[in-house]
Amino acid sequence: MKLPGLKRRTLALLAVLLPLLLLFIYVALRSGPLAPVAVTVVMVESKPVAPALAGIGTVQARFTYKIGPTFAGRLKHLDVHVGDAVKAGQVLGEIDPVDLDDRIVAQQAALKAAEAVLRQAEARQSFAQTQAGRWEQLRVARVASEELVAMKRQEHAVADAALAAARDDTVRLRAELAALRTQRGNLRLIAPVDGLVASRDADPGTTVVAGQAVVEVIDPASLWVDARFDQISAEGLAAGLPAQLVLRSRHSQPLAGRVLRIEPRADAITEETVAKIVFDAPPSPLPPLGELAEITVQLSPLPAAPTIPNAALRVVDGRRGVWKVVDGDLAFAPVSLGRSDLDGRVQVVEGLAAGERIVVYSEKALGAGSRIRVVERLPGVAP
Amino acid sequence: MISLAGRDILHAWGKFIFTGVGLGLLIGVTLTMAGVYRGMVDDGRVLLDNSGADLWVVQRDTLGPYAESSSIPDDLWRSIRTMPGVAQAANVTYLTMQVGRGEAEPGGARVDVRAMVVGIAAGGPGTPGWPPQLAAGRQITRGHYEAVADLASGLRLGEVVKIRRNHYTVVGLTRRMVSASGDPMIFIPLKDAQEAQFLKDNDAVLMQRRRSEANPAFNRPGVPGLLDAVIAAQTSNPSVNAVLVRIRPGYGVEEVAEPIRRWQRVTVYGRAQMEEILVGKLIATSAKQIAMFLVILAAVSAAIVAFIIYTLTMDKIREIAVLKLIGTRNRTIAAMILQQALVLGVIGFVVGKIAATFAAPLFPKYVLLVPIDSIIGFCVVLAICVLSSIVSIRLALAVDPAAAIGG
Amino acid sequence: MAGQGIRIEGLSKRYGKGETAVLALKDVNMHVDPGEVVGLIGPSGSGKSTLLKCLGAVIDPTAGRMLLGDELVFDNGWKVRDLRALRRDKIGFVFQAPYLISFLDVTDNVALLPMLAGVPNDAARTRARELLAALDVQHRASAMPAQLSGGEQQRVAIARGLVNRPPVILADEPTAPLDSVRALSVIRILNDMARRFETAVIVVTHDEKIIPTFKRIYHIRDGVTHEEAGEGRSL
Repeated sequence: MKLPGLKRRTLALLAVLLPLLLLFIYVALRSGPLAPVAVTVVMVESKPVAPALAGIGTVQARFTYKIGPTFAGRLKHLDVHVGDAVKAGQVLGEIDPVDLDDRIVAQQAALKAAEAVLRQAEARQSFAQTQAGRWEQLRVARVASEELVAMKRQEHAVADAALAAARDDTVRLRAELAALRTQRGNLRLIAPVDGLVASRDADPGTTVVAGQAVVEVIDPASLWVDARFDQISAEGLAAGLPAQLVLRSRHSQPLAGRVLRIEPRADAITEETVAKIVFDAPPSPLPPLGELAEITVQLSPLPAAPTIPNAALRVVDGRRGVWKVVDGDLAFAPVSLGRSDLDGRVQVVEGLAAGERIVVYSEKALGAGSRIRVVERLPGVAP
Repeated sequence: MISLAGRDILHAWGKFIFTGVGLGLLIGVTLTMAGVYRGMVDDGRVLLDNSGADLWVVQRDTLGPYAESSSIPDDLWRSIRTMPGVAQAANVTYLTMQVGRGEAEPGGARVDVRAMVVGIAAGGPGTPGWPPQLAAGRQITRGHYEAVADLASGLRLGEVVKIRRNHYTVVGLTRRMVSASGDPMIFIPLKDAQEAQFLKDNDAVLMQRRRSEANPAFNRPGVPGLLDAVIAAQTSNPSVNAVLVRIRPGYGVEEVAEPIRRWQRVTVYGRAQMEEILVGKLIATSAKQIAMFLVILAAVSAAIVAFIIYTLTMDKIREIAVLKLIGTRNRTIAAMILQQALVLGVIGFVVGKIAATFAAPLFPKYVLLVPIDSIIGFCVVLAICVLSSIVSIRLALAVDPAAAIGG
Repeated sequence: MAGQGIRIEGLSKRYGKGETAVLALKDVNMHVDPGEVVGLIGPSGSGKSTLLKCLGAVIDPTAGRMLLGDELVFDNGWKVRDLRALRRDKIGFVFQAPYLISFLDVTDNVALLPMLAGVPNDAARTRARELLAALDVQHRASAMPAQLSGGEQQRVAIARGLVNRPPVILADEPTAPLDSVRALSVIRILNDMARRFETAVIVVTHDEKIIPTFKRIYHIRDGVTHEEAGEGRSL
């Protein structure tokens, strides 16, 4: 006898509803607040840590020579281009004298005129001197009146003064002429040292003012990196420490260097310590000035101490610490931290011992009452 | 007495299951909709939780830093740090932007990820603004060019992302660290972030420089060096969006906030106010939108349940007449229809809950299904079933038992 | 329990009021004894359906008296408060189309009536099975109505009509969808059951095949019944 119709239907209905119900219970338990928090756990190990400091800086030249005219003028010619090597004393270019030559001629003419005035004054003075002497004798002979003699004496004094003035005037004009001639000589731009032309800021025909740089010459041997380290992570930075430099354009070729000096003046605005890093060997080809460089300064390794990954650190009630796993339960352990390295390992000074198990990664924030589920890696994280 | 409703359901179980599943998918959409709203609220909450702050110091009279832009000097934190009751104060910047993926790899096509770039002050894990916990990798250790990204961005450990002009190596991954609008967060050192906020890209920098050069006020022949100074001033950014403050234990929120507000001439928000801004203001419109949808979906569900029950009743109108003729009480017939509606609702709810739970992770934005929503949803579904069966019950009760007698 | 069968005296039914009132039944007198099967014959519009509905207590007669068993149920107004219980307990219905409840199996279709009256499920089912056995359909006891043939359905319907041992069974064209053999078989069963359960049976029909089987026939025309003797042909 076959099953009664209703029983068969009941069974079929159960076959559909039962899995649905089971699924529902699974869904209700596995999602939402009832689900345990997935965490990963690591054991605290006692390990030495080699702290390092990371900073960035720009490539700079220690000595930069900005060469330009000492007074305004038009650039006549400029013989060097950016990248040219120059020798000390080499003429790099010249400023157009404009009216300087004419002013020299005018000055010469003025000098000549002044010399003529001088000669005239000499003649006047000698005549006045002669007259004064003669009238003096006449006074002695009681021929001339006392009043006339005094007049001649005064004429002589005036002629003396005029002569002195004319003489000084020629001296002045002569000096002015010499100044113009010197300036004429200063129109040439001369390299002060052996070096490399780093920039050429004006081209012939450009009018430049006094003090404006026309070419910039740098000393390639004096390249260094102006590095900045955040003050909060600059502990242990000292002159002489080895450093690794990575130029932005050559990030696959780290260069060796060392800390030359820590600047006595830090940047108060950016809260950074400024240091100069020199290359052990000048890089070739030379990096462009202003290129960004990443600097890693390796400090000496510290003795072994309990070490944890920095990802394990949490803040609970304002205290920094880690979640210890004790018999499957969580307990928060405040810690005080020592030095850390750039790979995120931190030494614990107090609060943890080697061998304790702590939570590193967690799906969400943990509390003392959280149920946890220890996993190899959190869901959603690619291996 | 046997259960007439149960027997009818057993008899037409296929119809019931399929209708229930159909209704269930509709309920699933409704639950998911509620989940979308909860997710939005939760996005706001986790944003606040993850900042680890008790107070937010922002530009005066702004709703910053999440709901409005806010800009305060980056050295303000020092003065705030010295205020009474302040345990920690840290600068932070927030900038939602497109982050380039894949461009750093040779031959990689640029894929943009919309993300909220968070600039976090140096100081190590636990500083306000830092990600409170990670899902993989490590926290930032270098002061520059390292990033911790959220899993939702799709980034992987070791991947290099381009933010504005600079490349950042992803060293850590987080989970559920999102902005109020659900964009994944990318944490980078504060100084990089300040730069990123200002320096748009190389082209923009060049244009800006040219513009300054072309401006005779800045490029004076008689004043060499002025242009350089102007450009340098233009390309540095001494502001941050907010200062996150952690309060010393034993101090009240207002107790600490009030002196800062008064003496530093800034606006300070506590956790509750911030939540009000994020949940109350930022997502208010979206919440109303979703509420509208929920109302519509509830109406549609009600209509569907009513229609289904109506059809089922219409199919049985002859039998109901017979039942009444042979002396079945009205109460029994009404109970039969009501029970069927409720069973349909229960099947629909179970299917809907399952569907919503499995569909939730597929959504691009976070969908949070909270048990209370499910419970409310269950009650609403049953209420809708009861209400929508009323039409059918009235219909059934109006059937004339004489109709069973032919002629 | 069977008592007096059914007896109606001076039953009338008026639809509407005043000028437009229609008198569908005029002073109908009728009696059926327990164990007797009578025919009720009349053309369409004769008041046949109205009479059946009055007898079945689904519409209210305007005036007259009606006795079911030994109980006066109508005397210019219903004398019982619960017409449902009256229909359930005192009247058995057998319809033209059997109108079994499609979602209940045969046993429960029959057992439903006693269950509605408060009889425990098991007792009700036992009673149903006995009746099904009496009607020779016990082998289909757990089938669904849709799986039965027309004759089987009608027999189940008769079983349902009988299950509460009513004093009267109203059969409305019970043989209409059946061929003559099955029709006669249904009438025979009705006769058997009427005797066996002491039930009065009124068969409303215009089926020529079965009219000769009645011993007594009520003709109804324009709301008035006339009693006459039937052929009473043996089955």
